[in-house]
Amino acid sequence: MNKVITINLGGNAYQLEEGGYDVLRAYLDSAGVRLQGNPDRDEIISDIERAIAEKLRALLGSNKTVVETKEVQAVIAEMGPIETDPAEAAAPSAGSAGARPAGEQRTAGAGPPPRRLYRIHEGAMFAGVCNGIAAYMSVDPTLVRLAFVFLTMFWGTGVLVYLVMAIVVPEASSPEEKAAASGIPSTAQEFIRRAKAGYYEAMKGFPDRKARREWQRRFKQDMRQWRRSFAWEMRWNACQWQHNWHNYWAQQPPFNSAMGFALPILSMLHGAATILWICALVSLLSTGAIFGQALPATLPVWVAALLLCIIYGILSAPLKLARRACSWGFGHPAGAGPFIFLADAVVWVAVALSLAWLAVHFSPALREAVRSVPALAHQATGDIQTWWTKK
Amino acid sequence: MNVNEKFSGLRKGLLEFLLLQIIAAEKVYVADILRELSATEFATQEGTLYPLLSKMRREGLLDYEWKESEAGPPRKYYQLTAKGREQLRETQEYWGRINGTVKKLGQK
Repeated sequence: MNKVITINLGGNAYQLEEGGYDVLRAYLDSAGVRLQGNPDRDEIISDIERAIAEKLRALLGSNKTVVETKEVQAVIAEMGPIETDPAEAAAPSAGSAGARPAGEQRTAGAGPPPRRLYRIHEGAMFAGVCNGIAAYMSVDPTLVRLAFVFLTMFWGTGVLVYLVMAIVVPEASSPEEKAAASGIPSTAQEFIRRAKAGYYEAMKGFPDRKARREWQRRFKQDMRQWRRSFAWEMRWNACQWQHNWHNYWAQQPPFNSAMGFALPILSMLHGAATILWICALVSLLSTGAIFGQALPATLPVWVAALLLCIIYGILSAPLKLARRACSWGFGHPAGAGPFIFLADAVVWVAVALSLAWLAVHFSPALREAVRSVPALAHQATGDIQTWWTKK
Repeated sequence: MNVNEKFSGLRKGLLEFLLLQIIAAEKVYVADILRELSATEFATQEGTLYPLLSKMRREGLLDYEWKESEAGPPRKYYQLTAKGREQLRETQEYWGRINGTVKKLGQK
């Protein structure tokens, strides 16, 4: 008793003994190998399959439905080995290798082009920074613009970052650069590399050593100056905000008992949000997924982490404001004393600790994540060290 | 090495010429060609014939059309193109010259 395999040859079904099937399979496979590089390879193979089908059909009758192994062997012997003109078989492959355009060879050798951060002018609002970042991270430019607007809310950080990037990031002018602007994802290191390259490129432009040194000195001086003025600007802004804040809350002396209840609740919410955020961040960095939810393949981990921080910022900002409002409502004009702050702090810490304990206790994934933090930190510092020494 | 082995390269080279001649006479399919060749020194097999026919078709020497068969899958019937006929004519001429040379040489 032999096992029977049904095959499709030239649109008809045939039943072969298993050994016969193996013989036929081997013959067709070797035909495919021998016809490698032949432009009519598929057609010749289907011709051969049809010819075999016709021979098999001649063997079968009304009371014989299965082709035996030795019959298949006889048919294959009758077909003969696939013979191709050696010159013909070699010609197409040699031709395809020789005639391949230079561009194709370059991409074949170097793999996909690396992605670079460029400013992109097409469809840009200002200097094309957001557009370039969007292309670099494969997201909608509107999202990037919103992120910048959001950052601007914190002492104008967004505007500053935008200005710096508009100066430092080169513009994509050639087609190659435009292609590279939305190539494959890379790391934030690329940004640093670009900025440095721009600096050294400018250095090369100076003919003699003296002028170069002078320019170098000026560059460093400018940087220092810029850093100082930036810090001063920040401080001044912060003062201004604080001042406004005080003024605003000083004008309203509402002592409301509802606030006494609201404060611990707000604190709890804020604590919960913070814990959740930290847990999500830890699970993202240690497992590459947020609580087992895999990220979209196009989203790099560092972008996801950044997004997580932004989301946390958006969510916690109103809570923070409300808590401040309550505290100020209590503490300042009405003079409820430092007790309310103490109570708030105690509640906050208690909520945070208990939530953390619950999370670590009941989620094995999280426990694993927490356990892997030291190793991860070790690895990260190692990476930075090697990067530094290489530089 | 007998004569048969010695001239295997020559036979292989001539096969294309013979195919042109066979197909020129009538529309044929591969089994017809094999049958016609089987009785001669040029007996061959499908494994050789199909790649050769597809090469000739690629060169524009012949063409095929599908015909249903009473049993089994449809068959390809081959016929010569104008270019194929031209090639056949040239080859016949050339073959005639070679034949003449072979007979003439060495006879004084």
